[in-house]
Amino acid sequence: MAEFFTRRLLLAIPTFFISTFIVFVIVTMAPGGPLEQQLAQLRQQAVEGGGGGLDFNNDIPPSEKAKLERYYHFHLPYHLQYMVWLGIWPRNAQDLSVEINKVRNIGKGQRAKVIQNEDGSYRVLNARDLSQELTEWEIEMMTADDGTVEPRLVRKEFSGILTGNFGESFQFQQPVIELIIERMPVSLQFGLIGFILSYSVCIYLGILKALNHGSFFDFTSSVVVFVGYSIPGWALGAVMLVIFGGGSFLDLFPLGGFQSKNWAEMGFWAQVWDRAHHFVLPTIAYTIVQFATLTMLTKNSLLENLSQDYVRTAFAKGLREKRVIWLHAMRNSIIPLASRIGAVIGIFLASSYLIERVFNIEGIGKLSFEAVLARDYTIVFAFTVISVTLLIVGQMISDLALALVNPRIRFR
Amino acid sequence: MKTVASKEESKKSTGQEGQSKSLTVMQRRWRKFKSLKRGYISLLILVIAYITSFFLPVLVNNKALIVHYEGSTYFPAVSDLFARFGASSFISGEQLGQAGNPGEAHYRLLQDQYEAEGGDNWVVMPLYPFGPIEDLNVDGNEVFMAPLTSKHDAPPRLLGTDNVGRDVFARMAYGFNISISFALIVAFVAYSIGIPFGAFSGYFGGWYDILLQRVVEIWLALPFLFLIIIIVALLEPSFALLVTLLAAFGWLQISLLMRAEFYREKSMDYVAAAISIGVPTHKILLKHILPNSLVPIITYLPFSIVLGISELVSLDFLGFGLPPPDPSWGQMVNVGLQNITTGYWWLVISPLSAMFGTLLLTVFIGEAIREAFDPKTFSRLR
Repeated sequence: MAEFFTRRLLLAIPTFFISTFIVFVIVTMAPGGPLEQQLAQLRQQAVEGGGGGLDFNNDIPPSEKAKLERYYHFHLPYHLQYMVWLGIWPRNAQDLSVEINKVRNIGKGQRAKVIQNEDGSYRVLNARDLSQELTEWEIEMMTADDGTVEPRLVRKEFSGILTGNFGESFQFQQPVIELIIERMPVSLQFGLIGFILSYSVCIYLGILKALNHGSFFDFTSSVVVFVGYSIPGWALGAVMLVIFGGGSFLDLFPLGGFQSKNWAEMGFWAQVWDRAHHFVLPTIAYTIVQFATLTMLTKNSLLENLSQDYVRTAFAKGLREKRVIWLHAMRNSIIPLASRIGAVIGIFLASSYLIERVFNIEGIGKLSFEAVLARDYTIVFAFTVISVTLLIVGQMISDLALALVNPRIRFR
Repeated sequence: MKTVASKEESKKSTGQEGQSKSLTVMQRRWRKFKSLKRGYISLLILVIAYITSFFLPVLVNNKALIVHYEGSTYFPAVSDLFARFGASSFISGEQLGQAGNPGEAHYRLLQDQYEAEGGDNWVVMPLYPFGPIEDLNVDGNEVFMAPLTSKHDAPPRLLGTDNVGRDVFARMAYGFNISISFALIVAFVAYSIGIPFGAFSGYFGGWYDILLQRVVEIWLALPFLFLIIIIVALLEPSFALLVTLLAAFGWLQISLLMRAEFYREKSMDYVAAAISIGVPTHKILLKHILPNSLVPIITYLPFSIVLGISELVSLDFLGFGLPPPDPSWGQMVNVGLQNITTGYWWLVISPLSAMFGTLLLTVFIGEAIREAFDPKTFSRLR
């Protein structure tokens, strides 16, 4: 089994890299990225600053544009940009303009002086002690669009998602990890409640449906299940919000949001009640799709087992019905359910932009969707990395659970 | 899902087998399908509604069916029927005696005008005289009208109007045609890609299979809604672009199903027999294995249509769907939700009910197909 999981893991590695690379290239190719937004901003400032006669295409000095490009590492080809982002290619941690033979402040109280050697190469020296060379700094030549070449003093380091650096959001000027962790509780609450609710209700309902197969109860509950299956969660949420949200018909639940505005001032029980009140409709919307599939899976699986010979034998031996159903048939019926248990890892990212938009909840889905709109690359990439990782891990958990409940499975 | 009725039916059909052995498998399945009333009726409703929806321009339209003006007769609504083939229904108001209207004639006003004039001229309007992209914001202040209300002596709006005064019922009806057509086309493209890829992968196996499995795995790991939104934002949104994108993600499931079938079938004796008598590979694939491996993808078809419709509505809702004037269900929901506190419930409820109805019927069909194709009958041994 260890061998199986090692192989799964090894196969997952290329999947991870290629899928993130595809997202990376598509997102960086999309127009309207941070670079273009900043250039537009600079243009705006130039116009407002009284330079009314400026030509709109040439108002930004090429060297400024080149500097911005270097800031986002757009001067590198796509595969190198991707490697910088991963952290296996050096990132320009600091990138300063510099003049040869002049002293320059490089932060942390250090000063550097760049000296040109006789063979044309450069050396970066500590300005206080010229015998000491600052080896982590180097000189790179920056060529702007108009052909001018400028030296830049650069300090490089390996830092990317593989070293745990997810970067900083360009919209919020805040580390992406912080942004995601801030919104994690919302997703976690929906995910956890939805998970517990769907598994407990669906398994029970599925069993009832299987035992009363063909009855009126089975038929009517099937219709409910089908409705749940065919309707996207957010659409059901929208309908519920219109009917129960108080805008037009009944005023039973709040019109979206995660908690009331004055939540912080409430007492503990009031807080719990307030959250629960806000929770009912979105949780139904989150759970509905899983609900239908799980119920039918349980029902069909139990029905299939009940028609097996071993059940007949158990009954023939004179075992009580309860014992046969719960001990013999159920044990085999949960096998297909186990194969879906990997979805449990999804509760950390239980977010659907659509549902969060309908209910106006500040969750991870909303964060990442708005990041797509604003071309806030770092958030989009971080979200991609997390969701791809969760998907891969979830699949492995499913395999493991399947092996645990079904001793017939041999991993080869 | 199995019901009592179906169990009895299956017994009946096994009884029939003895009498008429000439029935092919497909005929027997069709007979079984017809016996499952819920699915069969759903199919009839959906097919009839879809066919009818192609004639919407002569049923629900703001353009007249027939205009008789000074001896000549025009059929603007009829030419709308062929709009997708490039026919133009444009007739200016001045051409029909609507003074001071060089733009498209306003046929409802024209009708009143001709009646008031009392001459030989007359107009026959369609059953429901409002169009899906008829913008009445400017001249009529007809925005956000509640259902069954009317203004300016026009017939009542069945389901009210939206934020720019377009008729919700008309948009809903046209949206039905677009949604189903869209889902069918996406399914068709996805099937045409998925079937050959899955078939080759399952039949030939080896490196080709490993490669395809990796491609599928990578593809499945991609955050698909995100990528679609980015690409739609990058390029001009259009019907064809959305079809391409959704099909590009939809073929995976089909190729997986096909692969499993071909993988299983290729080890069967009849395939070995075919190989041994020297049947060429393409014939084995097409004539021998393919007909035997269609069951999973046929039963999957209704569900892929459900997916196609809900994806289109979701994208429209987010604003990354069909380009603006096109009637779409999701766009109406978006407008309705933006104004939720003001109580324009019909903008949310009407299109979503249409969607729920369509999806539910499709799922019923799907379940019936699945049951008709499934030889297993559950019975409790007790």
